[in-house]
Amino acid sequence: MTGRCGVVVAHGRLGEGLISALTRVAGSQDNLWAVSNDDLDAESLMADIESLVAERGSGREAILFSDLDGGSCCQACRRLLTSGAVRAVFYGVNLPLLIEFVFLQDLPFDEFCEALLKKSRGALGVHS
Amino acid sequence: MSKVLFRVDERLIHGQVVVGWGRRLNPNRIIVVSDSVSREPVEQDIYRTGLPASIEAVFWSLDEAIKGLPAVLGSNESVILLTEDLETMMGLARGGVPITEVNVGGLYASEGRTRLLPYVWFGADDKQRVQELEALGVRVVAQDLPTTAPVRLRERVG
Repeated sequence: MTGRCGVVVAHGRLGEGLISALTRVAGSQDNLWAVSNDDLDAESLMADIESLVAERGSGREAILFSDLDGGSCCQACRRLLTSGAVRAVFYGVNLPLLIEFVFLQDLPFDEFCEALLKKSRGALGVHS
Repeated sequence: MSKVLFRVDERLIHGQVVVGWGRRLNPNRIIVVSDSVSREPVEQDIYRTGLPASIEAVFWSLDEAIKGLPAVLGSNESVILLTEDLETMMGLARGGVPITEVNVGGLYASEGRTRLLPYVWFGADDKQRVQELEALGVRVVAQDLPTTAPVRLRERVG
């Protein structure tokens, strides 16, 4: 068991879709899950994330991945950060970011955050 | 001593190869053996896109591969070698390339093919190619990712 777990907290089916895609390229993961804000108010969303981390996280450090900074998913994540339930909230989640989570999850925290951001930012571009 | 993963995958260089196997095996080189892609620089550029700087991709025809592989196998390189089909892999084995195991990672659904596994669909001649490779002493094992269970295809084709 690794020292970290992750939850993708996103609108609609983005989270489960990203994890489905991740499974195709990096294999299935036993420490990464998805939560959608569909039909949930802020408190219920926070409760869903918190119970997932408590029930399946087995005490591991929780990292959240939300989609839009400032959106309701990210707001709920940040409230959990404030309460101390989770260690970090990434926003702008994309597949490259989750791939790096899989392979770099055991790095020391600061290095881990820096490496994930560098890779996921570097993965954006346009061919024209 | 070199380490080479011999893989049959219609998608050639793609996510499963670069991420799934690449992160596990740390190859310094990906060798694509394909007569058609070896003549298509634009296709090669597309396949090279997104490769980490630590991995070089080269595109060889079957003949070039038969000539060039002995030097690779005698080096200390870590290589993922890709072909689009079992026929090309068979060509390497027949050409004298010492292959002990072939990884079948992706032969996908299309007209006239039969499903063996979600990621392995066989055309009319593929069963025979597996039997021929096995007769040459080559184990033919399906496994799309390092984390999925390997399946010896000889046992699936009867």
